[in-house]
Amino acid sequence: MKARMKRILAGLAALTVAALIWLPCLHFVFTRPVSQFRQEQGLSPKARQLAARHLQLWTEPALRETELNKMRISNAEWDFMGRSYLVWSLANMALRDPASKPLYLRTMDQIIDETLRLEKQEGMYFFLMPYAKDGSYVMQPPHSLFLDGEIALMLASRRVVDEKPEYKPLLTERVNAIVARFQKNPRMLLESYPDECWMFDHCVALDAIKTADYLDGTDHSELIRDWIAMAKQKLVDPKSGLLISSFTTHGAPLAGPEGSSIWMVAHSLQLLDEDFARDQYQRARKELGAVTLGFGYAHEWPESWKGEANIDSGPIIPVFDISAGSSGMAFIGASSFGDDKFLTSLAATLDFAGFPSRTGGRLKYCASNQVGDAALLYATALGPLWQKVRAGAR
Amino acid sequence: MNKLFWKKSGIFQRAEFLSPKDMLQRAAAISGLFLLVHLAGFREFTGILNGTIGSLALGWNLSAFLAVIYILLYLAFVILVPVLILAAVILAIWRRRVRKVEIARVTTNGKP
Repeated sequence: MKARMKRILAGLAALTVAALIWLPCLHFVFTRPVSQFRQEQGLSPKARQLAARHLQLWTEPALRETELNKMRISNAEWDFMGRSYLVWSLANMALRDPASKPLYLRTMDQIIDETLRLEKQEGMYFFLMPYAKDGSYVMQPPHSLFLDGEIALMLASRRVVDEKPEYKPLLTERVNAIVARFQKNPRMLLESYPDECWMFDHCVALDAIKTADYLDGTDHSELIRDWIAMAKQKLVDPKSGLLISSFTTHGAPLAGPEGSSIWMVAHSLQLLDEDFARDQYQRARKELGAVTLGFGYAHEWPESWKGEANIDSGPIIPVFDISAGSSGMAFIGASSFGDDKFLTSLAATLDFAGFPSRTGGRLKYCASNQVGDAALLYATALGPLWQKVRAGAR
Repeated sequence: MNKLFWKKSGIFQRAEFLSPKDMLQRAAAISGLFLLVHLAGFREFTGILNGTIGSLALGWNLSAFLAVIYILLYLAFVILVPVLILAAVILAIWRRRVRKVEIARVTTNGKP
């Protein structure tokens, strides 16, 4: 009996020592140089592999339908955002890799045309969550800034890479409509859902307006300046200093600062107000970013704000408070602001817990979905589009 | 012939609880099970982690069930298996060392 007890204790001690050795080393198995994920020039291996999978989806309709239907069961927005992120990614990739530009442009046009067709044929509710029909929009006729902003930025991104005359009036019409609604509302807050406005959508829409200015020589700098001044004054959470995610048309907060939103917001702001963008990224990194045993991840809310898991945050993994939505979007933030250390640790987590699946040079993450992978692709490629628009003269 | 080999090697014989052999057997069992679910394509169902259904044909419940099995076995494979193997090595080295010390003590004590 004594010998058995001694043996078990020795076994447990060995297991403890082994765990103390292995756990801090585990991340080395999954950590790769940042250049595997993102490169200053050209395309990283991961960008090529992720893009190959997305291009396959747009050449094989049956496969695309399956993937999109899987997402639409949970959230019709994901179908739409997957398109947006892919078009924005391809625009950046075309600027990084001119040899593949024709293929990328073809795919961008295919996505844009199909999205516009669906919007026209099925109406704006096709890409919105069902509760959009539960109430009526404050501003009539109803428009969703979510759709208008992202579609405008898709059209604008395509035109930055290479002019397409058919898209010019479509972009102008959409941008003019957004601007008119901004001017009509003294608070400058536009709805994505009935009396529900999103920071993410405002920033993307303003990016589209700024890009349209670059393309067509218009000037909405005053509108952009006023909107950012208003946001700094009225839409910042006083405790964390982070921009809140959603609010009513009167500016009353609906949700606080959220990781699933703020990383992209910081990236979008880079085109509009570089200093404010960096300030928001640094605050988000401090309040939401975390690295444990070499693995990077992000929380959905800062400690000062209590929220509940929702469709944007994804399931929250307890103990560490890991949000899949925030962690995925953190790639965009880290990549935008050249935070290679955080990006490397996020990529290690992705390869550890994202369940990568590679076939024939194509990569997808099984724990993700099409929109998640498209956002990751965007994080691998972003940069050149913003640089070009910021540089000014065409 | 084959049966005799497996019997002689003692690979499938139950080892003492928490002995090095026991740990290696457990590591092998986990690896085998993980390989099985991996080859069966359970990885595809892990989309449940972000709220996406693994398969439209199988539905939410079965997809979630298969995802949970895969995730648990995967975590066991990447975390537990190396720990078990390391622990087995540590324990084997420690036991050998203790045995050597005991033999040395017996030899020293036995000397006139």
